[in-house]
Amino acid sequence: MPALSLRTRLTLWYVAVLALLLLLYAALVFAFQYGVLTRQVFHDEVQDVVTAEGLLYFDHEGALQLRQNYYSRPQSHLLVDRLMEVLDLSGRVLYQSPTLHGMVLGGRLKHGEGDAGFNGRIVRLEDGNHALIVSHIHTMDGVTMVIRLGYSLAPLHERMIQFLILLLVAIPVALLVAGAAGQTIAGRGLQPLEMMADRAEGITASNLHDRLQIDNPKDELGQMARAFNHLLERLDQAFHQMKRFTADAAHELRTPLASIRTVSEVALGQSPDVEQYREALASILEETGRLNETIDGLLLLARAEASQPGQERTLFSVRELIEEVLGVLSVLIEEKQITVVQENEFQANQCIRADRALLRIAVMNVLHNAVKFSPRNSVLSISSEHRNDKVRVAFQDQGPGIAPGEQERVFDRFFTSKRPAAVLGSGAGLGLSIARLIVDRSGGCIWFEPVQTGARCVIEIPFHSRTLPQN
Amino acid sequence: MSPARPRILIIEDDRKLAEALLSGIEPAGYDVTVAATAEEGFFLIHRAHPDLLILDLTLPHRNGLDILEQIRSEGTDVRVLILTSHNTVDDRVTGLRTGADDYLGKPFSFPELMARIDALLRRILPSPASPHVRIGDLTLDTKARTASRSGETLDLTVREFDLLLYLAENRGRTVSREMLARDVWRENSRFTPIDNVIDVQVARLRRKIDDPYPVKLLQTVRGVGFSLREPQP
Repeated sequence: MPALSLRTRLTLWYVAVLALLLLLYAALVFAFQYGVLTRQVFHDEVQDVVTAEGLLYFDHEGALQLRQNYYSRPQSHLLVDRLMEVLDLSGRVLYQSPTLHGMVLGGRLKHGEGDAGFNGRIVRLEDGNHALIVSHIHTMDGVTMVIRLGYSLAPLHERMIQFLILLLVAIPVALLVAGAAGQTIAGRGLQPLEMMADRAEGITASNLHDRLQIDNPKDELGQMARAFNHLLERLDQAFHQMKRFTADAAHELRTPLASIRTVSEVALGQSPDVEQYREALASILEETGRLNETIDGLLLLARAEASQPGQERTLFSVRELIEEVLGVLSVLIEEKQITVVQENEFQANQCIRADRALLRIAVMNVLHNAVKFSPRNSVLSISSEHRNDKVRVAFQDQGPGIAPGEQERVFDRFFTSKRPAAVLGSGAGLGLSIARLIVDRSGGCIWFEPVQTGARCVIEIPFHSRTLPQN
Repeated sequence: MSPARPRILIIEDDRKLAEALLSGIEPAGYDVTVAATAEEGFFLIHRAHPDLLILDLTLPHRNGLDILEQIRSEGTDVRVLILTSHNTVDDRVTGLRTGADDYLGKPFSFPELMARIDALLRRILPSPASPHVRIGDLTLDTKARTASRSGETLDLTVREFDLLLYLAENRGRTVSREMLARDVWRENSRFTPIDNVIDVQVARLRRKIDDPYPVKLLQTVRGVGFSLREPQP
């Protein structure tokens, strides 16, 4: 079956339901009308039987006759189409109306016929027509007789068939009109959708800021348009971020490339000297190391960005993670004679749920920064506390700290501080961006708190109520 | 020249890299051939019967994995080292599943490539019959995990001993920071700022094993890494 448009499908459904309803309605009307008319015929027959009673008489030959002398015009009796038969109680026919043309009306007498009520019933005549007849017992001149009076149902049936034909002709016409109207209404109702589709068709990477028009934010189409606009919003943001990021990354990759190029060109331009060549090559190698580090950082960012909360999560103890990272960095800490002070509020076996490998990188970056900026013989304090279902770990060093305006910007990709004290040995400028992205994706927050001396970096991660089994 | 020189076939479409590999690997005592396309590579595999295939995954016209698959389905006995710039865990797993013996992500450090080649061709360095490793007057006892120089026991931390042992096992060869990060520090992520840690750790080790002695064994090869060797006279 070929796919029909939504508009056509709506119309077809609507027409089908309407057709069903109309047919049902026609059937009901027809049945009701038939019932009403039949009752009317019965009522008329009862009236007529009473009238006919008064017109009956025995003529001088003793035959039962119906008085005909009340007609104002002689041909008027031709208008009378009543069927009448009178029988005595033995079943002998006393009178038959000429309209019967000798046919019997109702056949043999039934017991108690016409005694109580009028026994309205439908009988089949010999000529195949049906008639609705009533019976009535009447006594005249000492003779008790049963009067049967009826009308042929043929005219009624004919009229009912005409009525039915009228109904059956009217229904398709009504359906056609309704279908056309339905098609128009559905078309008009769906028009905003078409406009939306047209609009959406026109949105490309270059005009992602375009939005769909919302006429009525409360109706279904408005809701859809809103959802669509939200999607566009997010895409727009992501796209912008990516564009900016690509530009930044290209810039960051160019810097080591420039240095490689210059060093090579200078080395080749000089008189050949093995020592200088060696020096140049080593410098080039160092730069490729930097390039490599930047690329790894970018890939890691992409990986963290693609990770969804809930993916690859394991239960682990934060304290253990911090201990592990401190272990890796211990040689730097010892070398600078930094004292690490740990204040732990919660138990070692209390856990969080996150991607451990990623979070380890985040903690490593933050702690490495703290160690890097710590002066010799200083104190690095790590405090962990438990706050409303969250684990909060603060790393505080006694280094140069962060300039007040840069507390947020340090998390920007490729950010480098303008303060000379903070630049010593800075890396690719991705460490904190990676840390932030990872912590965000773990459902947590990371920020720098303003402090008197040094820098205080706080990581907050949702706490997991379960504890690891103690071994 | 002994005919037992192991044969290495490099299938790499980047000419510069292929040439650099050729001139770097050959002096280490290998018979090296280079193929720039998959077709040429196939031809050479069947004609030259290399012992080791160094295979770039992104070749023109044909994926390196196809070649690997075909080699393995034909049952050719050759060890395969994959080189690729698609360096994710998934790629690594796919490569190894298809039948590669080892996997190295671009850009790799040359010392690391040499270490892998040596390991693949000799398979695993036969574990020394004696638990002692000697470089000049430096002795490591791998069982007792102690080291001594000129008969004096060196006081080393666990990490320092691991580092020294790794350098000793690769003696005469330069070891890159990436290798140390992965094999000694067991850092799987490449973006962990531990180059600093390695440098400081090496400096501390040097203070213990070299500073008090006239002959320096632990060399820094600038831009490349470190090596433990007896200085050439």
